[in-house]
Amino acid sequence: MEFVSPEGLRLDGRRPTEMRQIRAELGAVAKADGSAVFEMGNTKVVAAVYGPREVQNRSQQLSDQALVRCEYSMANFSTGDRMRKPKGDRRSTEISLVIRQTMEACIMTHLMPRSQIDIFVQVLQADGGTRSACINAASLALADAGIPMRDLVTSCSSGYLNSTPLLDLNYVEDSAGGPDVTVGILPKLDRVTLLQRIS
Amino acid sequence: MVGLSLGEKHFIHGGIAQDLRSDGRKRLTYRPIYVETGVIPQANGSARVRMGGTDVIATVKAELGRPSQLQPDKGKVSIHIDCSSTAEPVFEGRGGEELSTELSVSLQRSLLGGKSGSGAGIDLSSLVVVEGKICWDLYIDGLVVCSDGNLLDALGAAIKAALSNTGIPRVQVASSASGDEDQPEVDISDEEFLQFDTSGVPVIVTLTKVGKHYIADATAEEESQMSSAVSISVNRKGHICGLTKRGGAGLDPSIILDMISVAKHVSEKLMNKLDSEIAAAEASEDES
Amino acid sequence: MRGTQLPLNQTQKVRLQRALQQLESLSSKINSNASVTVADSIPVNYEDGVLKYTSRLLGHGTSELNGEIVATVCGIVERVNKLVYVRALRARYKPEVGDIIVGRVVEVAPKRWRIEINYSQNAVLMLSSMNLPDGIQRRRTAVDELNMRSIFEESDVICAEVRGFQHDGLHLQARSQKYGKLKRGQLLTVPPYLVKRRKQHFHYLEQYGIDVILGCNGFIWVGEHVEATDDMVEEQVSKSEQQTMNSDGILTDMEEQEQVSTPLEIRQYVCRAANAVRVLATLGFIVTIEVIVEIVNLSSSMNLDIHEMLGSEFCVLVTEKEVERRTLTKKKG
Repeated sequence: MEFVSPEGLRLDGRRPTEMRQIRAELGAVAKADGSAVFEMGNTKVVAAVYGPREVQNRSQQLSDQALVRCEYSMANFSTGDRMRKPKGDRRSTEISLVIRQTMEACIMTHLMPRSQIDIFVQVLQADGGTRSACINAASLALADAGIPMRDLVTSCSSGYLNSTPLLDLNYVEDSAGGPDVTVGILPKLDRVTLLQRIS
Repeated sequence: MVGLSLGEKHFIHGGIAQDLRSDGRKRLTYRPIYVETGVIPQANGSARVRMGGTDVIATVKAELGRPSQLQPDKGKVSIHIDCSSTAEPVFEGRGGEELSTELSVSLQRSLLGGKSGSGAGIDLSSLVVVEGKICWDLYIDGLVVCSDGNLLDALGAAIKAALSNTGIPRVQVASSASGDEDQPEVDISDEEFLQFDTSGVPVIVTLTKVGKHYIADATAEEESQMSSAVSISVNRKGHICGLTKRGGAGLDPSIILDMISVAKHVSEKLMNKLDSEIAAAEASEDES
Repeated sequence: MRGTQLPLNQTQKVRLQRALQQLESLSSKINSNASVTVADSIPVNYEDGVLKYTSRLLGHGTSELNGEIVATVCGIVERVNKLVYVRALRARYKPEVGDIIVGRVVEVAPKRWRIEINYSQNAVLMLSSMNLPDGIQRRRTAVDELNMRSIFEESDVICAEVRGFQHDGLHLQARSQKYGKLKRGQLLTVPPYLVKRRKQHFHYLEQYGIDVILGCNGFIWVGEHVEATDDMVEEQVSKSEQQTMNSDGILTDMEEQEQVSTPLEIRQYVCRAANAVRVLATLGFIVTIEVIVEIVNLSSSMNLDIHEMLGSEFCVLVTEKEVERRTLTKKKG
């Protein structure tokens, strides 16, 4: 299949190194300490942060830093063909872990010992790049919650199809089977915090 | 969630007795309702409904399927609700499952009618494409994004709004020359959509009994004080489509009858309010 | 900007936007470019020698990166002499010694209560750091320890003062009659930055007969006025109340008692004041007693139903009033 036309345009009309439109909104979940909705094209995720608060399970308490937890879940209606997946399948667990590790690296956890920060990310609509969208949303939600951070993590994916490197893959490009990589960077510190090659 | 102190409980009880609740509402007043449609473009229809701190999303997805053998002239509808952990940290993992199931079942009872499919708020026979062969399966999914009480009414309203936002593609059935055994071939149109008739879809009014009185649209705090709650779904004609009772305490039959007539009265206002909100939401969606 | 999440129609949107713009232009003249987001660098005057001692003079919400001071939270830059810090908008409560707070008891532990105060940990109130209801200063006996639940039990709302940090966390104290259990009213939560530290946090609005306690931690109590002196009597009443409840387990008897105890008129004011706080919180305006009174008066002069105060129309109106108020104070000042 042709993913890049001879004129150098992709299926959705973007140039190879063009991102989809992004939109962000803070404060979508009234009850949470911090929350954000993040959209990258058709991908739409909402993130909510609760904490820093008292550790719920005392045995998990860390005396020198905050405990960061993360749960990623996909709404039933988020994918093109509707599927019922039980909460906590392997893919969700893996993404939860990735988000947690990425956010842990930028939260100044040593400033909030013996407390707990929960990050909940819910995918409302998946069209490729959910990992990146979730990290961006979580980053904004943490900032909204006033949690001290070294930097705002930003993330985006890229792939390689038809001998062309492509930025910010959508679902069709993502499932085309080419190599793709998700990168998370701390722009101010100029560091890479997340680098994942999938397939 | 931490419970309420005795003083706060008294205050809530007293307020309900005096017909002045903590946020200034009367016993049967609803919080402002806000509807947004088309929030999930990938679905056939979707809506987000907010009532105070409660925030829910409902979507409708239509897929072609086979009608069941028992009812060859009817389509299928299933309702599934999920409680997102964003709404409440206790919903994490399997924590929200019990509530999700309870809500799903209540909504099915309120909107889908009996097992035979008769008396459903959604006209199932309109979903049939070829009798006994092809029909539309509607998958209704709800998601609780933020919860502050009265989830059932909000979800009911969101489903109603999502259904009126739903366009079902027109299907052209190719005349199949071969035997009747095969599934006929169909051609799904990308441009022509059939608007769904939602005039028969009921609204759900939950009356929560606190102390001696009952209230509409309870907040989470008020719900924590309930002895029992009765959810009544009423359609535009004022007919009762479904009835569910939750909570442990028993109710006097006369009170239930009383609640039904009150719910009927309240539902009229709610239905009108909801219809105008849906119309406004559709209009603003068309604009943008 | 953080969305206000208000359902508005077209004219309301325009009015709100105009009002917010005016507010912005009013404030921006006072302190320009003082707001930062995460990872913004904060300019400092190097000649002042700030740089030399950075590690010592870096305050909350800042860190050092390649000799630059960088914000770690979103907020307003504040400078006190050589100290630079960022006051975070929207964050959990940051306790300071002497703050008056409102909190909820989550646990009764040996010799202490653990209290949720919207901080990153639960605070501790020792039995020894509070006055007993009979007001007697004496050693706490084993009997006192056993009777701790008769003072505060789980989920009670109390008011106390921040005493300070100790090895096992944040400690509170309640060594005065004005502190203690709060009854007959409602607890509201607002983001803590909306409550400013002031001399007075307890407010008795005599004209309405209500008490408003603006806790520095963003917990706000609005309730029927209670005389601080007859604390002992109250205590006994509540004890007997609890007994009636335990004996028959049903609240119906009590309900009638309560109906008598909070008169409708006072309840109306409680709800009005509570809704005023809710409106301020949705709009993100500083919550002070003067503004609450102003909004209560505005709503009653408009003959607005109490629950209509939470509608979009009234919120827009409050924003416009706020513009007027700030323009006036600016002219005066």
